[in-house]
Amino acid sequence: MTAAIGTRGVSRRFPGVIANDCITFDVVPGEVHAVLGENGSGKTTLCKILAGLYRPDEGDVVIDDEVVRFNSPRDAYESGVFMVQQHFSLVERLTVADNVVLGWSKRRGFRHRRKEVEAEVAATAEQFHLEVDPSAYVWQLSVGERQRVEILKALYRGARILILDEPTTVLTPQECEHLFDSLREMTANGASVIFVSHKLREVMAVCDRVTVLRKGRVVGSVDIDEDGADPRMLARLMVGREISLMTKPPANVPDDAPVALDVAGLRVANDFGRLRLKDVSLQVRRGEIVGLAGVAGNGQRELAEAISGLRERQAGTVTVGDQPLRSSSPRHAIESRLAYVPEDRLGTGLVATLKVTDNVVLKDFRSPELSWGPVIRSDKVHARTRRLMEQFDVRGTPDNTVRQLSGGNAQKVLLAREMSSDPVVLVVAAPTQGLDISATESVRSLLLEAAASGVGVLLISEDLDEVLDLADRVAVIYDGRIMGVVDAEGADRDEIGLMMAGMEVGA
Amino acid sequence: MNDSLLVTLLVSGMVYGTPLLIAGLGELLTERSGVLNLAVDGMMLVGAVAGFWVSQRMGGPAWLVLTAAAATAMAAGALMALVHAVVTVTFGGNQVVSGIALTIFGGAAGLSSYLAVIGKLSGERGHHQFTKLDVLGLKGVPILGPLVFNHDALVYVSWILVVAIALYLNHTRLGLHVRSVGEAPQTADAMGINVTAYRYAHIVVGGAFAGLAGAYYSLAITRTWSNGLTAGAGWIAIGLVIFAFWRPGIVLVGAYLFGVLTSLGFTLQARGVTLPPELFSVLPYVMTIVVLVLVSTVWAKRRVGAPAALGAVFRREEH
Amino acid sequence: MIRLERRLDTPSWLSIAVVLFAFGMGLLLAAVVLLVTDHNPLSTYHSMLRAGFTNPGALSSTLVNATPILLTALCALVAIRMRIYNIGGEGQLYMGAMGAAGMGIALGGAPRPMVMVGMIAGGCLAGALWAAIPGFLRSRLSTNEILTTLMLNYVAGLFVYYLIFNSHSYWRDLTSGNAKFYPQGKTLDRADWWPALHFGHLVIPTGFIIGLVLAAVVWWTLRSTRAGFQLRVIAGSQSAARYAGIRTKRAVLSVMVVSGGLAGVAGASMVGDFTHMLDPNGLQQAQFGYAGIVAAALVGFNPLAAVIGAIFIGSLTNAGFQLQGATFPQGLVGVIEGIILLCVLGAQFLTTYRIRRAPRRDPAAPAAAASGPALADQTPVLDASPTFAGRDLEPVTEP
Repeated sequence: MTAAIGTRGVSRRFPGVIANDCITFDVVPGEVHAVLGENGSGKTTLCKILAGLYRPDEGDVVIDDEVVRFNSPRDAYESGVFMVQQHFSLVERLTVADNVVLGWSKRRGFRHRRKEVEAEVAATAEQFHLEVDPSAYVWQLSVGERQRVEILKALYRGARILILDEPTTVLTPQECEHLFDSLREMTANGASVIFVSHKLREVMAVCDRVTVLRKGRVVGSVDIDEDGADPRMLARLMVGREISLMTKPPANVPDDAPVALDVAGLRVANDFGRLRLKDVSLQVRRGEIVGLAGVAGNGQRELAEAISGLRERQAGTVTVGDQPLRSSSPRHAIESRLAYVPEDRLGTGLVATLKVTDNVVLKDFRSPELSWGPVIRSDKVHARTRRLMEQFDVRGTPDNTVRQLSGGNAQKVLLAREMSSDPVVLVVAAPTQGLDISATESVRSLLLEAAASGVGVLLISEDLDEVLDLADRVAVIYDGRIMGVVDAEGADRDEIGLMMAGMEVGA
Repeated sequence: MNDSLLVTLLVSGMVYGTPLLIAGLGELLTERSGVLNLAVDGMMLVGAVAGFWVSQRMGGPAWLVLTAAAATAMAAGALMALVHAVVTVTFGGNQVVSGIALTIFGGAAGLSSYLAVIGKLSGERGHHQFTKLDVLGLKGVPILGPLVFNHDALVYVSWILVVAIALYLNHTRLGLHVRSVGEAPQTADAMGINVTAYRYAHIVVGGAFAGLAGAYYSLAITRTWSNGLTAGAGWIAIGLVIFAFWRPGIVLVGAYLFGVLTSLGFTLQARGVTLPPELFSVLPYVMTIVVLVLVSTVWAKRRVGAPAALGAVFRREEH
Repeated sequence: MIRLERRLDTPSWLSIAVVLFAFGMGLLLAAVVLLVTDHNPLSTYHSMLRAGFTNPGALSSTLVNATPILLTALCALVAIRMRIYNIGGEGQLYMGAMGAAGMGIALGGAPRPMVMVGMIAGGCLAGALWAAIPGFLRSRLSTNEILTTLMLNYVAGLFVYYLIFNSHSYWRDLTSGNAKFYPQGKTLDRADWWPALHFGHLVIPTGFIIGLVLAAVVWWTLRSTRAGFQLRVIAGSQSAARYAGIRTKRAVLSVMVVSGGLAGVAGASMVGDFTHMLDPNGLQQAQFGYAGIVAAALVGFNPLAAVIGAIFIGSLTNAGFQLQGATFPQGLVGVIEGIILLCVLGAQFLTTYRIRRAPRRDPAAPAAAASGPALADQTPVLDASPTFAGRDLEPVTEP
């Protein structure tokens, strides 16, 4: 059977990481093909290559068994390949119909007849069971509806291969069902759908075949209908086993260690106003590392931001030591000795265009130690920077801008700052993302040191290996809920993998 | 009746409003593509001088000379705008500073005066002027006569432009494209629209309109040339676009409204009313600020308001 | 295929070199304009140099112009350092002049130091308040400041004009001989006119000294104080500023107020040093507010370099005035100034980007790709055009 689309030995590197490593796979016409994997497995990069957004370093993309070269997304459009990304590209002030036909000049002349265009778009929408009003303005639409407009854009232009990147993260259950109906309609017409996901239940419900990626490689390919896939097996493929780097010695945190961080009943909304965190509670004791495992996009960011005061809480409490934190006050969190290493290292945690010295005192510049009234004592700042750089083995000079440092060293600056503030709680998100082996080692050992000195660490990471290696206890988050908390020692990887993919773990 | 205060006021409002309207429409086009052009006044002055020059030095029948003058004014404005486009779109220079630089370049202390001196145009009485026409012989009709049927050619041109631009923006494919360029250039680019080309085109056309609006001063309103002839009208035109919520039809209404307000002060003063004319002159600016504030509320921002990408530099990402 | 690659950092020698290069290009282009219109560029430039600097008394006249320009340049650059485009320096200057003139009239007869302090305070306060309006609108309502400050320039201009020409206000002179023929403002007592420093033949107005001091203060504040630090952080990344517990809204308003205060001092100097009365026509013709923005832009918004920028623009203005006549048409100054500034602007991209030649298909060349966590667009200030739609100080484009 000829492949509708596929790759042959495709590789793509970014500085410091191999995103795709010699990937070969095929999608046949008329099927819904899942690409399953955690974040960092390379699935988004692979799809961007298929859609013409990235060029592969090696290997080829083939369509109908012929090698194609895409120099831009437009080339991909010409070949019928469309990708619906997680961040939509829609013009808010235009109508649905306008957005759908934007830039598509076939069969359309000089005039833009509103009624005609809307009718055309409505016809396509109906054909594929996509419920959306062509005359509505995009700013009026819900997220699910906007996604439908994106899909409509592709279908209107005669997409034969539709790539959806984690489409259900933003949908309600009902909307998911509608989406699946539309997908079935599309494939009935001979089109193919590539469905990128980390959610096992959906993958098994709607897909015909699954390709599992892990750390940039294909680790398995399963035909759901023929082989009757077992979720446990898929989960195992997804999270796999790896040679561990540094691990934590067996937990010696006494049971009566004081609670460093207490989160109770947290309800937090996402950027669109919808409830993202639903009654989240967890505790971190002093000297303990609690790992929060889960695929990105399940509420980790909202949780970290709510805890550190960067995001408003709708309900619930956050307590550091014995100090309850005010909602929406980053300053209060800082003053209460909560340290936070955000995932957005260069945009939020550090200011990339400023020097290391500036970044080191980012939160601390008002302290009497560093300032004399309005003046900042640059000698003290330099001294502290030099001390920290040496202590944390940061390569570079204090006057370098952070942009000039390597990713690993920048991360060390961030950690150095947060850890040296003598915190009670340290919240770290994705600490080793994008770092090479030696930098990863350094960061891991720093986190272990922090715990050893009595800090309560909440480690939020998509890398399950990292979580299992470093944490005392592991909590799993999925869709804004804590699915379960287990001890790291002797934890069943498959069970955790299932929780990460949304399956309830039975007896 | 046609000599009444009200009618005279309205007519003079329309006359003073016409350059505002033309320049405003030009700026509207530029801003719809996402670029801020603060040099409108400078472009108007250069257009005024260029048009006046042609009208003084070219021989031939009046209609020919005036058409050539108008065309030259438009070309002059377009050339200045081209510089703005190169600096801001191609080189990614700061749009605000570029606009101010061009204003100084072309303004009363710049090119417009320079050209006037070289062409020895100062103080000369204009050989030609856009005169009021008598359309369909109806200029004597009560009220409507002077308001609709007794204007010079450029006023009627401006009305056509309003309609043309409204149609262009809302009912043509190109208009849809330019609106997307101004709202979300990254998206437009992803959809295969050439953002650079659209921006260049709309900046240059905006400059051409500004040049034409300037020529209205030297060829219709005053029939002479003096430095700084436009008295800051270009800046009012910029405010006008905001006041009009970036809609051509409202630009028309606003232009005439601002025109009336400007002449109201002096008219009243001439008739012995003791209100200071500044009170009226200040209203366009204040009204624009009020609109600006209204437009910034979240409610309004979604529905009406500035093109979302106005002023931002567009650079395509690497891949 | 030519590819533009973002530089990681810009060495200062490069910034200076680029400005000088652009300056040279500008002079060349202006020379072309001169040639085309039958003027000799070399002799024109030479006479400008003499009229601006070397002729007897030239430098003093240049300083007269440079004084307000230095202060309005500081006004512009203080705000721009935080990515706020305060182009209302012109109006803030007018209001400052009004405030200072009012104080000067009210305090007439008191000892001069007291009058001067009063005038500076009055001017500063008036300018600051005038800037607080758009500042408040920006910080609370996210209203874009470019147009609010611009519109307020004209409101201020009309207001000040009204005070002298169409009202019987406190500022208007209703008694003296001249005033009966032509409306004008009350003149300050001779005793209260601000002194000037005499250095041999060179006359340095008090305002210029104040400007020098303020330039140093601004430079030092940006570099070494907590306020300057917060400004750097906010300009670098708004989300990092929030993360660090900095109150960004308050900072926006504060910066606008300081900026307006600086322009207000410029207005005070105009009254105290030069016009000795509230002179709307003179102020509006001079356009010192906008000249300040030009001067600041030319020197990359650096407070110390602004002194040089102000002197340069001041010398141009002065030369234009002195040389006015048949061989030196009035508009020439604006033409040259505009061309130079446009060249400097255009050349900015050389400091932020490196030019690379890349083959069409680039297999293993990761250098050009953006990777990892998205870099918010941390552009050097001049490169960053503002986003209009009233968004809250966001970095310009999201990759």
